[in-house]
Amino acid sequence: MVHIRVDGTAYEVREGLTLLQALDDLGVLMKGVDIPHYCWHPKLSIDGSCRMCQVEVEGMPKLQIACGTPVRDGMIIHTRSERALAAREGVMELLLVNHPLDCPICDQAGECKLQDYAFEYGQAHSRTREPRRALKKRVELGSTIILDQERCILCRRCVRFCREVSATNELAVTQRGDRSTIETFPGKPLENDYSMNVADLCPVGALTTRDFRFKTRVWSLEEVPGICTGCSRGCNVHVGVVDHEVRRYTPRRNDEVNGTWLCDQGRMTYREIGAPDRITEPAVRGNSGQLVGATLDRAIGRAVELIREAVQKEGPGVVAALASAHATNEDLAALRGLLRALGSETHAAPVLTGSSDALLVRPEKAANAEGARVAGFGEPGLLFDKIRGGGVRVLIVLGHDVIHEQFLGTPEPLAALDGVILLDTHRSRLEQVADVVIPGRHLAEKGGSVTNHAGLVQAVPAALEPTFEAIAEAQVLARFADALDVSLTDEPERKREVD
Amino acid sequence: MGHRVPRVTQYLTEHFADEGFATLSGYRARGGYETARRVLRDQSPGDVIRMLKKAGLQGRGGAGFDAGTKWSFMPEPHHGPNYLVCNADESEPGSFKDRLLMTRGPHQLLEGILIPAFATGAAMTFLYVRGEYAEPARILRRAIDEATAEGMLGSNVLGTGFAHQVVLVRGAGAYICGEETGLLESLEGKKGQPRRKPPYPAECGAFGRPTTVNNVETFCHVPHIFERGVDWFRSMGTDQSPGTTLFGVSGHVERPGVYELPLGTRLDEIIFEHAGGVPGGRKLKAAIPGGVSMPLLPAGHLDVPMAGEFLRERGSSLGTGGVIVMDETTCMVRVGCVISEFFRDESCGQCTQCREGTGFVHKLFLRIERGAGTAADIDVLEDVAGKMEGATICAFADAAAWPVQGLLRHFRSEFIEHVHTGKCPLPDGFEL
Repeated sequence: MVHIRVDGTAYEVREGLTLLQALDDLGVLMKGVDIPHYCWHPKLSIDGSCRMCQVEVEGMPKLQIACGTPVRDGMIIHTRSERALAAREGVMELLLVNHPLDCPICDQAGECKLQDYAFEYGQAHSRTREPRRALKKRVELGSTIILDQERCILCRRCVRFCREVSATNELAVTQRGDRSTIETFPGKPLENDYSMNVADLCPVGALTTRDFRFKTRVWSLEEVPGICTGCSRGCNVHVGVVDHEVRRYTPRRNDEVNGTWLCDQGRMTYREIGAPDRITEPAVRGNSGQLVGATLDRAIGRAVELIREAVQKEGPGVVAALASAHATNEDLAALRGLLRALGSETHAAPVLTGSSDALLVRPEKAANAEGARVAGFGEPGLLFDKIRGGGVRVLIVLGHDVIHEQFLGTPEPLAALDGVILLDTHRSRLEQVADVVIPGRHLAEKGGSVTNHAGLVQAVPAALEPTFEAIAEAQVLARFADALDVSLTDEPERKREVD
Repeated sequence: MGHRVPRVTQYLTEHFADEGFATLSGYRARGGYETARRVLRDQSPGDVIRMLKKAGLQGRGGAGFDAGTKWSFMPEPHHGPNYLVCNADESEPGSFKDRLLMTRGPHQLLEGILIPAFATGAAMTFLYVRGEYAEPARILRRAIDEATAEGMLGSNVLGTGFAHQVVLVRGAGAYICGEETGLLESLEGKKGQPRRKPPYPAECGAFGRPTTVNNVETFCHVPHIFERGVDWFRSMGTDQSPGTTLFGVSGHVERPGVYELPLGTRLDEIIFEHAGGVPGGRKLKAAIPGGVSMPLLPAGHLDVPMAGEFLRERGSSLGTGGVIVMDETTCMVRVGCVISEFFRDESCGQCTQCREGTGFVHKLFLRIERGAGTAADIDVLEDVAGKMEGATICAFADAAAWPVQGLLRHFRSEFIEHVHTGKCPLPDGFEL
């Protein structure tokens, strides 16, 4: 450890880091110690080209770039000296010499580092009169990203990302001097599983995602912490909400989980929240054999009736549950608690699996696969056998992963049951055999905790209310328990934990 | 004052009139490679570096850094090779001395490479030749082949057991590849963009290995120093800047060309006595002492000895020793237009100040030259140049800013005249 002093405050920092790295490592960079920067990024190699992070270091005649200057014991740094501020003003002026200043039509406006730093460190007047550099305004780098070459400040974060993180090397700076532009190589578009991160990395409005472009002014977004539900990594996201609608996920830094990245597939799972196939009202199978819309009370009443009848007729062992690895730990605890209260131990959770990679993507395609396993919801094979053997009469199902090809493939095996109670967010063929359908809430709508593949329990708040009437699955299950006159809290293991 | 009356000894170019000197046999007939043989056989690397430090040979590529000190930064080879790089990119406008050294004395250069190669433990020298230098490259390649065939290069250099290879690499025509780390990037097959320092090349240079980069002329002095000794070398030039150097004189002079003269020779002497003065009876207006990136000096300041320590007092520097002479028909705003266009074109584009500043400066010069400028523009020009200086990864932005500062320091009145009259007072010389 070495001791440094920044603007009069002493810090003890790790040796071998540069100044920006050391301050980031301490968690004070831009949170107490403001050293503006464009090209530096905590998860990319040091570039040192934007020159915005120049600071004064006592004993060194020239200003030094904080991103590239190794910390030394006893170093005394002034981030706001007259010289440092003058240098930043100079950098800002020069960055804006060729910038189109088209903020009114720029998606980045409102979260733009060029705007922010111009306001904080720049000057109010332009000293240029000549026409600005004219370049291409709309370059499709690939299927996800569009480049506005005029807005680009050539920080090369995107280039380094493709070189160092996605390791796909699609981007490069071509030409020289003030003709420099970001380009793809001929015939090799920007197509990788992490391509959209370059839009997050871009400190200005040069790189935008085709998905978000021109759709939302960012100052109208409410950004709430969330967890991506695409796989069991549990990547931390900002859920961007406008008017009960999620407009985007952007990565939220968590060095233990996802660093500052998010895979494209996971990022796009936000669309599930406002998807047209959401289950928006409860339904009960009527005398005609058709599912008929019902009130939540009616649906809960019918579900409880089915459970009670089965227990009375054949005992609690014939009630079973198929949980979802998308459910929160709270939902799972409620389901487990309900079954235990009834006296059944027949439960499982089907977890869909798919491709994975070395960076973020995990094979289990649900956020809480590990949480389900820990809560005692195992693989569903035995439960399926029991269903086929007639040992199950009523099945409570959370989610519809079970009819995926990897499991039943069809709702048919469930048709013979006396009752199928479905708590789900999205429509599926499972409705064909369901006697009761109750709409569920997406994680972003209910909040709660999920446990990622590594056992890390992460809790997030609700980011938005659904546009239809729905309560969280745990609350639905609590209502079941109330109506059945059993207690969900009767859970011996849990009690021991609390004690 | 350590400025002695120079004794003219032209050791670098002494035999350049002899065409055979460019061949191995011709070079050996003049005693070539004997100094390297003796040094490699009889001296230790430490001795060589100590002797060169005593000689005080300044790098001749522009920065004037002490060559022996630079070599001393090199670590012992450890888990891989050390490298030497000969910077033959000679891209500074107004500089053409290295071309002469390569075409007329390729073996002098190779012998000059062998001694520091031995001293720095380098396994290989990359000879990075400017892309436009087709003929020098051809001549050097032939010289390398000859020297390799005859055992001056290879696995047993001159029978001393020292192994060294010289590999010729041609650039692709970028000014910035003359900057040592821009050169290293280009050498590695990448886009020529200077590297952030630290680490310095002596720690992590070509292909990640410890590397020393020296200019062609710097190498060429080395065999002479080891042949005739430190005292002989220091008997020429000044105390701080010993030896001769090659001045490339161009522009408005009767006899443009390369002149080997002791460091410390006065600039007016170079222009008037050696290069024959300004033609047509016109008056001299200004001269750039060392390639376009050095601030120019007006006619009244040319009585300066051409050595770093004296030029710095006049607000300029020796640079590459490329003297560019301008007579009274030269518009100084137009000079700014031409120089700034070059730097705008050649900026690698990494650092903000350089990428955007070079273009901004160029636009301001054009604005003033075309009569559209205001007095405030002159201040902006000065201010922007000030913000470019000393704030970037490499010295390119400095090189682009210094000539602006020189022009405004000495010829501000001419800029004001342009602004006040709304036109250039001199007839159109060429299309801007």
